[in-house]
Amino acid sequence: MTKSNNYVVEVEDMTVAYNVKPVLWDIDLKVPKGVLMAIVGPNGAGKSTMLKAMLDLIKPISGSVLFNGQSYYKQRKRIGFVPQRGSVDWDFPTTVLDVVLMGRYGHVGWIKRTTAKDKSYAMDALKKVSMEDFAKRQISQLSGGQQQRVFIARALVQDADIYFMDEPFQGVDAKTERAVIEILKELRTLGKTVLVVHHDLQTVKEYFDYVTLLNTQLIASGPVEEVFTEENLRKAYRSTGKILKG
Amino acid sequence: MKKLAVLLISLVLVISFVGCTEKKEDNGKIKVVATTTMLADMVRVIGGDHVEVDGLMGPGIDPHLYKASAGDVSAMQDADIVVFNGLHLEGKMGEIFENLEGNDKSVVVITKGIEEKDLITDESSEGHDPHIWFDVLQWKKSSINLYNELIEFAPEHKDDFKKNYDNYMDELDELDSYVKAQVEKVNEDSRILITAHDAFAYFGKAYGFEVRGLQGISTSSEAGTSDVKSLADYIVEHKIKAIFIESSVPAKNIEALKEAVLAQGFNVEIGGELYSDSLGTKGTDAETYLGTVRANIDTIVNALK
Amino acid sequence: MNLIELFINDYTLRIVALGSALLGMVSGVVGSFAVLKKQGLLGDAVSHAALPGIAIMFILLQTKSTEMFMLGALIAGLLATGLIVAIEKNTHIKTDSAMALVLSVFFGFGLVLLTYIQKIPNANQAGLDKFIFGQASTLLRKDIYTIMIIGAVLLFVIVLFWKEFKLVTFDSDYADSLGISSKKVSLLISSMIVISIIIGLQTVGVILMSAMLVAPGVAARQWTDKLSVMVVLAGIFGAISGVVGTVISSSIQKMPTGPSIVIIISLIVIGSIIFSPNRGLLLRAIRERNYRKNINEDNVLINLYELAMNHKDPFHSHQIGAIKPIKTAGGKNTKYLENVLLKLQEKGFVKRDYFDEWAMTQEGIVYVEKHPMRKEMQYDSTN
Repeated sequence: MTKSNNYVVEVEDMTVAYNVKPVLWDIDLKVPKGVLMAIVGPNGAGKSTMLKAMLDLIKPISGSVLFNGQSYYKQRKRIGFVPQRGSVDWDFPTTVLDVVLMGRYGHVGWIKRTTAKDKSYAMDALKKVSMEDFAKRQISQLSGGQQQRVFIARALVQDADIYFMDEPFQGVDAKTERAVIEILKELRTLGKTVLVVHHDLQTVKEYFDYVTLLNTQLIASGPVEEVFTEENLRKAYRSTGKILKG
Repeated sequence: MKKLAVLLISLVLVISFVGCTEKKEDNGKIKVVATTTMLADMVRVIGGDHVEVDGLMGPGIDPHLYKASAGDVSAMQDADIVVFNGLHLEGKMGEIFENLEGNDKSVVVITKGIEEKDLITDESSEGHDPHIWFDVLQWKKSSINLYNELIEFAPEHKDDFKKNYDNYMDELDELDSYVKAQVEKVNEDSRILITAHDAFAYFGKAYGFEVRGLQGISTSSEAGTSDVKSLADYIVEHKIKAIFIESSVPAKNIEALKEAVLAQGFNVEIGGELYSDSLGTKGTDAETYLGTVRANIDTIVNALK
Repeated sequence: MNLIELFINDYTLRIVALGSALLGMVSGVVGSFAVLKKQGLLGDAVSHAALPGIAIMFILLQTKSTEMFMLGALIAGLLATGLIVAIEKNTHIKTDSAMALVLSVFFGFGLVLLTYIQKIPNANQAGLDKFIFGQASTLLRKDIYTIMIIGAVLLFVIVLFWKEFKLVTFDSDYADSLGISSKKVSLLISSMIVISIIIGLQTVGVILMSAMLVAPGVAARQWTDKLSVMVVLAGIFGAISGVVGTVISSSIQKMPTGPSIVIIISLIVIGSIIFSPNRGLLLRAIRERNYRKNINEDNVLINLYELAMNHKDPFHSHQIGAIKPIKTAGGKNTKYLENVLLKLQEKGFVKRDYFDEWAMTQEGIVYVEKHPMRKEMQYDSTN
């Protein structure tokens, strides 16, 4: 296989299975640089799993992932991750600023402490998500949308090239959703690549330029205009009715 | 078909026979189960060749805390005679004994029949102190219970039992004199015995020693820090030369006591190990009652004189 | 007797109190992370698992050495932890069940071994069954040194890896994505939990040890929202319970030390849960009652305001019956309404004209018009 320099992420032959039934089967995915890509599919399609497998959080049975032609470990510093909001206990005793600072831990390294400079990067990231006033707030006091923005700020502070986000719009108010998509579009303008596991089919066309349709297998992947068709959606969702409104 | 049936039936019969005979294992001896090593020793002496003794507890085992296993219980149920100390020495076996007595088993409670005036009360539990074997003459008196039971169970061997018993009585008298003689070697002021738990009260009463223990009459109670302190104060006040570890109780308690005494600037030695709630190790001189009592008094006197 | 005098005069009390305090502090600090990771039961499982470890060590080595027992307990504890993780990973059994399973099986096995050990000569000198409930009053100076050294090492590790511990405890997936192995850090934390349990076994025993691990952290959480403060506070609570428990057990006859300590820390936890300012149940109930009262008052005031505004003269008084009753429980009767109006009068918002006639005051009108609820009503009244 030739290593293509146009693709920031290349997934080859990836299969993930816990028991007998596979969650992901033989996935081949190429993500070009600078796209804002939605990953959609029905529940249980393996979207989160694929994300986690790409980030080496889950071990696949087979397959490989390359980032800019290299292994995950080598490119780790260039990758930012926004996990699902529900994966964390928000009653943890810590402030908003502290959480965003965590994004700097990769740069700071083991044992060493964060510096004033790290703090200022964190505050900058908070400004970008309009949360700078909340810096000293306890995370338990945040609304869903605010929590999501904190997570995004944390990823932003890593100053990564590739961002993975797992359902960032889930359970979030309209204002936050608009704010977040603005940030993502800005990231794309800056040449970053963003992959988002997305649950709302109706907003795919509006928000994203690339889309990957997944249902254990890869149904289709590419520019939204080409790939996001009724036919493909029906294949992905195994339904016969009309899926998209209007 | 018929052959098969015959084969099966004979197989069953053979097995049941073997099973039956295996169970009997009869060598004609009286099966006696005794709880403590002291009692097992007594049974061997008086019973002689006519008894087969199974001692439940080994040397260094603490009878206050001993929990009988299922094997122990069935051994007691199969036995001809069961011998135990009583007065709650075997603190965790009370129910088992009640069951045995209820089922008409031949049971010897060695402390039965001791007069109230000879018993020491236990203030904490309002019962009696069970450590009667430390008074040799009292042990001598109590052995009559076993002797009577043996004669009743196997009257055919009465002569042998009587011979053994009389012999034992003499030996115990001699032992008592020996102890008293040894005690004389220690100054009257120094006749203070400090041990891990209040086991030696009868010893103190019989032979003129002031006796103090760190834990109470039963080792199941924890020694509190105030107990350690008051005993340490007592040791310093009376300038006691030595304190003693017991074979069946963790040494740590006495070590803690020693540290407390040292902190007050007084140096007390650990005078040695006493066999308190059991006899000495098998294969040594101390494995019999006579040997143990001798070893104990020697240790005490050597350390305190 | 003066407490200071008590400590000066009683060497044993000093030693035991010091040992218990150190132990309480270390287990409180380390246990905070177990609490935050919701792994309190793990501490329980490991403590109970220590019993067969100690027993097997005795059977194998026929030794009475405390250090060897600690080693056996450590191995058993780590084994139990590993087993729990393996069960979670490879079967459908959930964490809780896996921990309970390992806990009971190991402990039961330990008890069986103890019954067997009873038969081994001189086994009682080892004092093995003292590990079930602890034997705090026989702590020796060398035990204190051991606890001090191990405690210092554990605390040092926590300070060193503070941000890694914080991150992995909060969001392990994210930690992995940064290259901070959540598995390794979790293992480190678990090992530290096991070690603090081991050194604590001598004092409070196998059964009660999990309380010393979990209770201080739970109590501390009620008082603060900062992780660093919580951990320090947990250490302080643990230490206090160690000292106070020891003093109490030494003053009362036949009061064992280990359980006394646990009783104290339990009281601290219960007190914290009820009385702490932010999360405490009592103050929360009081605050909620106050909110409700204020809302009731505001509602009545607004009702009166509406009546006033619909009248030519805003300061005209109205019959109490005309003022809509409050819809909360017990608010439907006039007496309650009157009490509320009296309160409002105290605040200067209403005035009583006659016996049961009430009117708005200028202050009252101003207050209502500035009230945040007013905006809602403005939407309503646009008709």
